[in-house]
Amino acid sequence: MNGFTQIIRRLQVLPLLFLGVFFLWPVASMLARYVRLSTLSDVITDHSLRGVWWFTLWQAALSTLLTLLVGLPITWALSRHKFLFSHFMTGLVTVPFLMPAVVIASGVRAILPNSPVLGILWAHLAFNVAVVVRLVGPRWALLDPAMEHTSADLGASPLRTFIYVVWPHIRTAVRNASSMVFLFCFSSFAVIAILGGISRRTIESEIFIQAVRLGNVKTATALAALQALVVMCILFFGSRHTSDTTDISSINVRLNQFSSSSLPKIVVYLAAYIPLIVVITPLLAVIARSFILNNRFSFSGYAWLFDGSTSQVGINTSTTLSTSLVFAVICAFIATSLALIIGFSRSTQWAISTVTGLPLVVSAVTLGLGIIVTFQNSPFAWRSEKWLIPVIHAVISLPLAVRILSPAISAIPHDLHDASASLGADTWRTLWRIDFPLLQPAILRSLGLCAAVSIGEFGATSFLTRSGAETIPMAISQLLGHPGDVLSQAAYALATLCIVGLSILFSVL
Amino acid sequence: MRIHRFIVGVVVISALVSCTSASDSQDDNPKEVILMAYDAFTPEKGIFDDFTSSTGAQVKVVTAGDTGTMVSKAILTSGNPEADVMWGIDNTLLSRAQNADLLVSYEPVDEGDVCVNYDKKWFADQKLDVPTTLEELTQPAYKKLLAIQDPVASSPGLAFLLGTISLFGDNWKSYWKQLLENDVRISANWTTAYTEDFTIYGGTYPMVVSYGSSPPAEVFYSEKPISEPPTGVIESTCFRQTEYVGVMRGTNNPNIAQQLVNYLLAKKFQESIPLSLFVFPVNKDAQLPQLFRDFAVRPEKPLTMEPTVIDKNREQWLNEWRSLAL
Repeated sequence: MNGFTQIIRRLQVLPLLFLGVFFLWPVASMLARYVRLSTLSDVITDHSLRGVWWFTLWQAALSTLLTLLVGLPITWALSRHKFLFSHFMTGLVTVPFLMPAVVIASGVRAILPNSPVLGILWAHLAFNVAVVVRLVGPRWALLDPAMEHTSADLGASPLRTFIYVVWPHIRTAVRNASSMVFLFCFSSFAVIAILGGISRRTIESEIFIQAVRLGNVKTATALAALQALVVMCILFFGSRHTSDTTDISSINVRLNQFSSSSLPKIVVYLAAYIPLIVVITPLLAVIARSFILNNRFSFSGYAWLFDGSTSQVGINTSTTLSTSLVFAVICAFIATSLALIIGFSRSTQWAISTVTGLPLVVSAVTLGLGIIVTFQNSPFAWRSEKWLIPVIHAVISLPLAVRILSPAISAIPHDLHDASASLGADTWRTLWRIDFPLLQPAILRSLGLCAAVSIGEFGATSFLTRSGAETIPMAISQLLGHPGDVLSQAAYALATLCIVGLSILFSVL
Repeated sequence: MRIHRFIVGVVVISALVSCTSASDSQDDNPKEVILMAYDAFTPEKGIFDDFTSSTGAQVKVVTAGDTGTMVSKAILTSGNPEADVMWGIDNTLLSRAQNADLLVSYEPVDEGDVCVNYDKKWFADQKLDVPTTLEELTQPAYKKLLAIQDPVASSPGLAFLLGTISLFGDNWKSYWKQLLENDVRISANWTTAYTEDFTIYGGTYPMVVSYGSSPPAEVFYSEKPISEPPTGVIESTCFRQTEYVGVMRGTNNPNIAQQLVNYLLAKKFQESIPLSLFVFPVNKDAQLPQLFRDFAVRPEKPLTMEPTVIDKNREQWLNEWRSLAL
């Protein structure tokens, strides 16, 4: 027992308190207030909802499978090789994930206006490949290429090498990524609303319709409770076998990215560029639209963003950009710090990671309404506070941060600590000289991804009461919400700025 | 022990936070009055300056999603409101607010119509007559030409459905069967239908359900100064939407709240709303701007429906509509 471990033990209360106050409490208040056994049984026996459950499940399963099929090759290419633009590409595949779902969905809709199911699958795929790249990538990158070389030298085919050498090491990360992707698709809302038309609904969109359009909060909450139950079962079975903490005996973060494969270069290019095209085409559709006005090439949308044209609908572009940026920084800092605490407190990891997974389980509608109900009375009358927005973003991005940092922390070999200790370094020095350099890529990824979640978050944000602090997705949706080519052009220009800015940011990280 | 310390800390901090916001809870001389509105509420800059100089209270506008979201949220905490005044409950939601005892008083504050809009140039190029009635929309000539919104998810979509029900009465379902057979495009919301399906914005549908004030908005927000809107309105399809403003039950500042309501109904503010919100004022003294007099459509006899009738039947109608459309 040393000082660091003790401090971490003490700090463990922070993430629990944070989730308790800003997540469990609001959700529990909603459930306690509105869930009754009779509505639960009504919802279960309702015939018209069977189709909705079925569609929700199969589209999520299929979306996850497609995301893995597209995501794993590009993950392999990017984490094992350095090639032309490979760094920039890592940023590029992440961008769809950060974009408001509204933008991706309208990009997909521009290409596939009449195929709802295909459109939904494509949008989910474009959105979620980043999850695979970002969660599996760091793990794969930690793997010593020498092991694959040895396997190849001993005559194993690339496939055999993958199955017997690589897969055991990335298995946990792939499972984590799949369960995240599945949950995102399962509770997908904006994509379904825009692409699904009236015939395709998910439980999440049904919850929204019941609560907001029809005023049946009881039905909505009952549905949300059932949805949470189903999702928890999925999470439970999805994480049952994830206790294996494969220790990687030798890691070298710097070395492994050199091109070292025995495969021809062309395979790497194909594995990287084909998925990339699939992922970014919807974004290209949005970018193209920002430059075309009345069938002519035009920069006007960009000029209108900054010359005050948008202020008539209450949007000040520079305020919007700085608001989003500040919220993103706050959210990234909170979520990453809490995830680091969770990651270092290895002893109770399974319990905490289950608890931190909960924000994935509950619908944004339920959380949004729960916050209104819970934080209405002094001393907790926070429902109109501006800071609540980045705090809720941190709740939503915490599961991601934990899933990035925990595997990275547990991959640090114990013997490095032992060696450091036996050479006379105290815990802090070890932390500073051993852990942080090794964790740096994961920490940066976590910061970046949490910031991204904050920038793109629409569902819960749209439920929180705001006063003049519009985030980028809110601004885009308000610009698109009025007639007039000036405003819609400005909306696409703002989306394009967002795409370009985030691509640059993520290729630097 | 440590957990206790944290909880005590949180309580202390939150008490401090809430003290600062609770300090203006007496009505004598409030420094601020809070107006809650839907996202699209974008009043003219500086329009509340007169109110502040005469009452000493700043108007703080808070937004809370679209109208449905705003009302649903407010109902959950009815009696302990986030704001003093609420702007923008419309006639399709008014009864729900009344049942939840959300407002102590309410009055109409603006009105507008949901109508079928059309692309003038498209119809001229195709040498096709613009339909003039809802019935004509079911004719084969207009197959695949109309984009509407899902009434379950969208407010103009619901208004359009209510308009057809008020016109056709019990026969509305057979009308809708024909309309759906004529391949109307159903999108999730106004934004998708207008900015993606409508021919003006590169879609393939030259008619779309939008507002009677969309044509002047097209002129106002146009890239180049244009003398005439590219779109027109089919007047007989218009369904009247009225928005209300009211003092919220449970406010600590009922007097200043009522003063704000009066200000919102007075001539100056009412004259500002056509060009800031693209709705018509209800105050008869308010002058309409030239743009509205030229291009906005406000039919003499729009389709209408009582809020109580809407509230009583909405869910059943929506369910029936859904089983027709699916």
